[in-house]
Amino acid sequence: MISDNPYLPWPAELIEVVDETPTIKTLVVRPEEPLAFRAGQFVQLTVPGMGEAPFTPSSSPLEGQRIALTILRTGTVTEQMHQCRPGQVLGLRGPFGKGYPLEKLQGKEVLVVGGGVGLAPLRALILALLAQLDGIKRMSIKYGARCMEELLYRSEYSRWTPNPKVDFTCTIDRPQAGWDGRTGMVTTLLKNLDVDKANCYVFVCGPSIMLKFVTFELVAEGFHKDHIYLSMNRRMSCGMGLCGRCNIGPYYLCKDGPDVNYALIENYPNVF
Amino acid sequence: MTTYFMSAEVLARAVDQWQDSAILGPLVTERLAWLDSMDTSGVSSMSILEALRQPRAAQSLKGVMLPASESLGRYGSRAPAATAIQTAATVVLGVRACELRALGYLDKVFLAGAVEDPSYRARRQRTTIVSCDCVAFAETCFCTLVGGRPFATGGFDVNLTPLEDGWIVEVASDKGRKLLGSVQPAQATGEQLARREDVRRRMTQRVADQNKAFSFSAGDAAAPKLPEGGDDGWQKFAADCVECGGCTNICPTCHCFYLYDQTPGPSTFERVRTWDSCLLNAYHRMAGGVHMKLSPRPLLLSRLANRVLHKYVYSPQQYGLAGCTGCGRCIDACPGAIDIRRVVQELAR
Repeated sequence: MISDNPYLPWPAELIEVVDETPTIKTLVVRPEEPLAFRAGQFVQLTVPGMGEAPFTPSSSPLEGQRIALTILRTGTVTEQMHQCRPGQVLGLRGPFGKGYPLEKLQGKEVLVVGGGVGLAPLRALILALLAQLDGIKRMSIKYGARCMEELLYRSEYSRWTPNPKVDFTCTIDRPQAGWDGRTGMVTTLLKNLDVDKANCYVFVCGPSIMLKFVTFELVAEGFHKDHIYLSMNRRMSCGMGLCGRCNIGPYYLCKDGPDVNYALIENYPNVF
Repeated sequence: MTTYFMSAEVLARAVDQWQDSAILGPLVTERLAWLDSMDTSGVSSMSILEALRQPRAAQSLKGVMLPASESLGRYGSRAPAATAIQTAATVVLGVRACELRALGYLDKVFLAGAVEDPSYRARRQRTTIVSCDCVAFAETCFCTLVGGRPFATGGFDVNLTPLEDGWIVEVASDKGRKLLGSVQPAQATGEQLARREDVRRRMTQRVADQNKAFSFSAGDAAAPKLPEGGDDGWQKFAADCVECGGCTNICPTCHCFYLYDQTPGPSTFERVRTWDSCLLNAYHRMAGGVHMKLSPRPLLLSRLANRVLHKYVYSPQQYGLAGCTGCGRCIDACPGAIDIRRVVQELAR
């Protein structure tokens, strides 16, 4: 969907708005032309006249005409996005980035670790892998949110787990009335896992602080650094490695990421 | 390549012919600023040529290819059409070797990636480059420390070398040949070319002598070993940085930009690109709440380190080219008197 001018967005009609949590909405858009993307690639969503912000679609890459973008209200542009109503025409640029390295997962175990709205891009990975479960050995999903109300995609968890190859565990930060599940940070779900660590790929997405402690926990637990893929938080503008602001060392996350393996970046400063 | 010799009067007649194109060249003033569009009726071609004997201009070629602010086109409810980019054919006169090297770097960034930048490409194609050897240099010039020389051997359409009694004119492309128009110069003689070599050798030596105090050597394939941005060594220099972004604006290879949208009319939206600077805190700042880490480089020392590391260490990895061409403009521009030569000299291990 990249035209001669890669800086201008293509029109995309907003067809549905889903209230996910008190702070998160999913905007489903229909691009004028179907968008072919790989799970983990991202798009720039434009509110015309207001500006754009990067999101990795949370929907399956198999559906190019219904792109779901799950958005936390956290700044000027996302506030505007939360005000949008179905029928409105937004803009889309992309896809950008490499996407998840699905080709490496053949016959492997997959550990998916999400924090808060970080489950959104991972949902595209989960849906892509659910569609080809024969290819992988097993998928384990660990998810943490601040509180019960902030758990994303609550109605879907049971749909992810009917196959014994898939398991899902979630936790909330602190005990809460009406919650009988696990409490504590998502790192508490990563201890003493019964997985073949040498043959397990891990995909992590969440806020910076969560990425940091999950990574340290995973390394301490014996996971290989080059098997840990982090969805790094950086400001991204052009999406093509030109505008400069998303670098970690010589890597531009928009072009070389947004998910990068930890071994590639661990020795650069200011990673987390 | 064909190499001619011209008297100043003959070369000035050639420059006269370029009046149809906008000529960007050094303004005949003490400070040698670039003119955005030089009106040659006001300044004689002879005095333009005389100005070329002065050190490099205050600004580089960058702004010609990548304006400080430009519209990237309008968008709305229809698919974006190929945007026609209006740029006049331009002759840029007096470009220095360090700027040509920087242009090669920008070409890698904007033309050799997965996507070509349409407005950069349009400006690049419509520009004819007339470079000029340096026969004088600024106190801050240090091209020889980063593998450069004060004269160009490629990347131009026409290159000029001022000699005492005239000019060596080297034509490297059809565009360059067209520039000479009706002027029919004589080929340079062996003796004249030998004098050019002599001028070049002496100038290279003088720039090297000026930088004798610095012992590092860097370049496209040689990155100095600089500490990463978490290292406290950077603080000494960051203490003098006032976070103005002057160094990145004036740098011939710094190309970071910011995209923003405006609404020029009902249902008409426009995307604008403007220069940005990695030294500024807001450059990295993300949206988010107070409890979140919104900038990956909240410390100025990390941002300063990132800029220098990008020039000297990351760029050779990314593009096979050094990001610093030794033009010294950032040293001139810095209100805190930060000298990038000293930074590299003191921190390289």
